[in-house]
Formats: sequence, structure tokens, C-alpha cells
Amino acid sequence: MNRTPLLQLQGLRVRYGNVLALQGLDLTVHEGELVTLLGSNGAGKSSTLRAISALVPTEGQILWRGGSLGGVPPHRIVRLGIGHCPEGRRVISRQSVLANLELGAWLRRDQAGIRHDLERCFDLFPRLAERRHQLAGSLSGGEQQMLAIARALMGRPTLLMLDEPSLGLAPRLVAEVMQVLKALHREGLTLLLVEQNANAALAIADRAYVLISGRVAQEGPASALRDDEQLRAAYLGG
Amino acid sequence: MIEALLQTLLNGAASGGVYALVALGYTLVFSVLGVINFAQGALFSLGGYLTYLLMGGRIGVNGALPGWGLPAGLPFWLALLLAAAGSGLVALLVERVAFAPLRRRGAEPLLALITSLGAGVVLVNLLQILMGAEGYAFPQESGALAGLPEVLMIGGARIRTIQLLLLLVCSAAVVGLSLWLERSRGGQALRAVAEDATTAQLLGINSDAMVRLAFVLSGALAGLGGSLIGMSVSLPGPYFGIGYGLKGLAVLVLGGLGSVPGAIAGGLLMGLAEALVPAEASGWRDALAFAILFAVLLLRPSGLLGRRTVDKV
Ligand SMILES: Nc1ncnc2c1ncn2[C@@H]1O[C@H](COP(=O)(O)OP(=O)(O)OP(=O)(O)O)[C@@H](O)[C@H]1O
Ligand SMILES: [Mg+2]
Repeated sequence: MNRTPLLQLQGLRVRYGNVLALQGLDLTVHEGELVTLLGSNGAGKSSTLRAISALVPTEGQILWRGGSLGGVPPHRIVRLGIGHCPEGRRVISRQSVLANLELGAWLRRDQAGIRHDLERCFDLFPRLAERRHQLAGSLSGGEQQMLAIARALMGRPTLLMLDEPSLGLAPRLVAEVMQVLKALHREGLTLLLVEQNANAALAIADRAYVLISGRVAQEGPASALRDDEQLRAAYLGG
Repeated sequence: MIEALLQTLLNGAASGGVYALVALGYTLVFSVLGVINFAQGALFSLGGYLTYLLMGGRIGVNGALPGWGLPAGLPFWLALLLAAAGSGLVALLVERVAFAPLRRRGAEPLLALITSLGAGVVLVNLLQILMGAEGYAFPQESGALAGLPEVLMIGGARIRTIQLLLLLVCSAAVVGLSLWLERSRGGQALRAVAEDATTAQLLGINSDAMVRLAFVLSGALAGLGGSLIGMSVSLPGPYFGIGYGLKGLAVLVLGGLGSVPGAIAGGLLMGLAEALVPAEASGWRDALAFAILFAVLLLRPSGLLGRRTVDKV
């Protein structure tokens, strides 16, 4: 694989006051890959995504298609094709489901394309279609998670970053969400999936990184990590 | 009797409309930043003086340039729009000077209370240096009423045309702003920033630009209010906006912090209640206004239409 990676993090550091949340992270995502970033609470997973979205000050390099993202303000990142479905869903609760999806397409002007993608989101998550005029704040946690994913898709990202989409969902819903991600991946979308649910994530990922205290402790093909009993017992809680 | 009541109601609605404008200005900034812009009252004064000058009014003897004025006055409508725009631009300056530096440093939001109050004081003092402390009456010949008679007879009541005009402009501004917030793309984005600025950025919305827009709009509303009051009464001095700023603050709390319909309803309620105070007891108006505020807050701590938040975990 000699082509330029889609996303490349080199020696990435993130500091919150005295806390060094990321201590020199190296991570690569190639076009078309589904990469998962695993780790327990406080490992620095969300900080990594926040750094890529320019929500926190960083040191080190963040390269997008080989060019530096340094100095690009947060609202410009999504324009480049980087979608971020944030931790904790963060739907706009005082607006309708449909309005949230429209906000996801905020930067787009192609009305026909937006309508098409809207229908596609409703195909992926039929429950959203039934509730399209309901306030997002009145949805259940699982439905809000679906809305957050669908909203990120409405921006037509090249790379979709998801921060713990399985958090707080019933096992059946987790499986449903993972199936959707797998389908998106098969259609060619590149994904960076942050998860604590290692089993679910490794089942669909191509490659995986394991973060411990802001450093990469292990990386490799998802299949290899799936079979690494020791690693799973030690860091991923089985 | 009916005639007196009609007149009272109209007076109440007119001043209520102005209160609603000021309160809406606070609401816009509060909803995106969670802070109160205490320079709002000074922007109200500024609007009044800008309209006065734009309509061809001259600076008095105590001003910096006694006797100076524009060579020709603009028509009322144009002066009103320009004054609103001017106040909006100064509000943007207030944001740059009094709010943005604090936000950049991640300072305690309450500090903006002091810096914006300071900006307001500076603004009022500048007005005083430029225009003097004396009162001004608007030049009548430039024709605010554009050919309309000064007094209209409606249902047997003598109504000052300017009061109707004032009510009309306030309603148009309030309805226009509400529609914009509810229906337009920009309004939708502003509401998204108000709820969650970080997430809005992840969707590609420039949250900082939306904050600036909120300031411009709130300054324009204050400027509009000041122009209308100056027009219908007079400009009693550079400090006259401060009282309206405080009243708008009371209306904001009365209606419910951050609620657009609340600001409108609170403004009307306040204006009507004051208008019902008989002229002999007019000294008690403010006392009544704040008594209402007090009573409503005892019964409904979140204001008339305040949000009862439903938090989801
Ligand atoms: N705003 C902040 N201020 C101070 N410290 C922070 C802040 N955000 C995160 N941290 C610290 O940085 C470290 C990494 O946090 P981060 O949110 O990236 O972890 P995470 O891997 O996403 O954890 P989780 O699985 O619990 O979401 C933690 O030690 C956390 O306490
Ligand atoms: Mg996290």
C-alpha cells in the first residue's frame, strides 16, 4: 500500500491543563478501510476524534490526503469530507428529526442529492422515518444514536468518525447499528470507529488500534486482535 | 370610556412592543452565549441619536460640534433602517471588545457582565461628549408621518399616529425575527448553535459567525427601539436608553430567559400593566412593573414561558 493515506496522525498530543490525554499518537486510515480505535475509559479515544475535528488544541501532525490540517477551524473540517458523530449523540433536542438531518446537510446545496440521501437514511433507519416530525429530544436513546449517525451521513463524508455508537444500546440494537456500519463500509465509505465494545467492533473492522493512557499499545488486523485472548482479557474487558 | 380604554390599550401595546424589542435583543445573545449584554441600553440610546442626526437634527450648544448637522435630512423610514444597522454594527464592536477576548481565554461567563456594562458606559459617555447632555426633540418637518395627520380618529378615540406607527414597526420586527428564526436556514443554524455550539461546528456551521450575527441583530433591535421612542416622545439625554435596558431585562426574566415568545408576551404584559396606571400615579409605574415581575417569579420561577427543560441522560 503505497498510496497516500486518507488520514494520518503523527506524534499527536492533546493536553487538558496538566493532563496529557494523548502522548504522541500515530495512526493511519486508508481510503475504504474500517479502522477501529479501542480502549477503556479515559484512554484518549474521544480526544483523538476531537483533535481531528479541531475541537481541542493539538501538537504533532494531522494529515488529510497528505496535507496538514493545522489551523483549519472546526467548521471547515467537515467541508473536507470528515464527518464526526460525537460521543453522547448530541442531537439538537429542540428541533425535529427532519431538521436535525437537514442540519447534517447544512453545507450542501444540491437539493436533489439531499432528498435522495434523506430517503437513504430513512431506509437505513426506518424508525427515524416514522418519527421525522417528532422533536429529537423526545426520541429514545437508541433512536437518538441512529439520528446522530444518519445526521453525520447527510454531510456525505469521505471519512465517517463515530464515537462509541453502541454506548447504552441493547445488544440487539448494537448488532443493528454494526450491521449498518458494515453495509456503509461495503459501499465504500471509510470509517474510524471508536468503541469500548471490542467484540462488536472487531467483528466488522479491517484493522484495529488499542489505546492505553494516550498511547497505542497494540495495532494490527482486526482478525489478529480478535484471537488475542490475552489482550482482550487485559485491556478490553473480555 | 371605551375611547379612553382604547387609548390606554394602544399606549400599553406600543410601549410593550418596545420592551419586547429590547428583551428579544437580550434573548438572542443569551441563547447563543448564555450571558446578558448589558450594553443593550446604551445601544438603545445610540439608535435614538442616530435617527435624530440622520433625519437632519443638529447638535446642540453643549455638544462637541455645536450646530453641526447633515446637510439634508433623510426620510424617517430610511433613517430608522440606517440607525438600526448602525446600532447593529456597534453591537458587533461591543462583541469584539467586551465578549470575544473573554471567550477566547475561556473566562468565567459572568465576567462579560462587567465588560459589557463597561462598554455601555463608554458608549453613553461618548454620546454625551458628542451630543451634550441636553434633550432633543425630533425635527418634525422632516416628516416621520409622511403626509399622515398627526392624530387619527379610531372608534371615536384620538390616537397619535406615531403610536400606531411605532406599534406597526415593532410588530413587523418581532414577527419578522420570529419567522426568520423558525423558518429560515440561518435561523435554524442559530438555534442549533444556541443549543449546542460544538455540535453545530461539527455540522459545518460557523458558530462564531452565528454569535456575531446574534449581536448584530440584538443591537439593531435596541437601535430600532431607541429610534421609535425618540420619535414618539423625545430624546431626554444620553442615559435615556438605560431605563429601557433595565425594563427589557425585567421583561426578559418575566417572559422566561431565552424564550422568544416569552419576550414578546412579557413585553406586552409589562406595557399594558404600566398603561393601566393612572396618570396621577405615574411615579409608581416602575414600582408596579417590578412588582409584577416579582409576583410572576414567585409563582413561576422560570418565567411566563420559560423552558421547563427535559434532560435526557
Ligand atoms: N475537557 C477536559 N478537561 C480535562 N481533562 C479531560 C477533558 N476531556 C478529557 N480529559 C481527560 O483526558 C483523558 C482522555 O479522555 P477521553 O475523553 O479522550 O477518553 P475516552 O477514551 O474517550 O474515554 P471514554 O471511553 O470514557 O469516553 C481522560 O483522562 C480525561 O479525564
Ligand atoms: Mg470517549
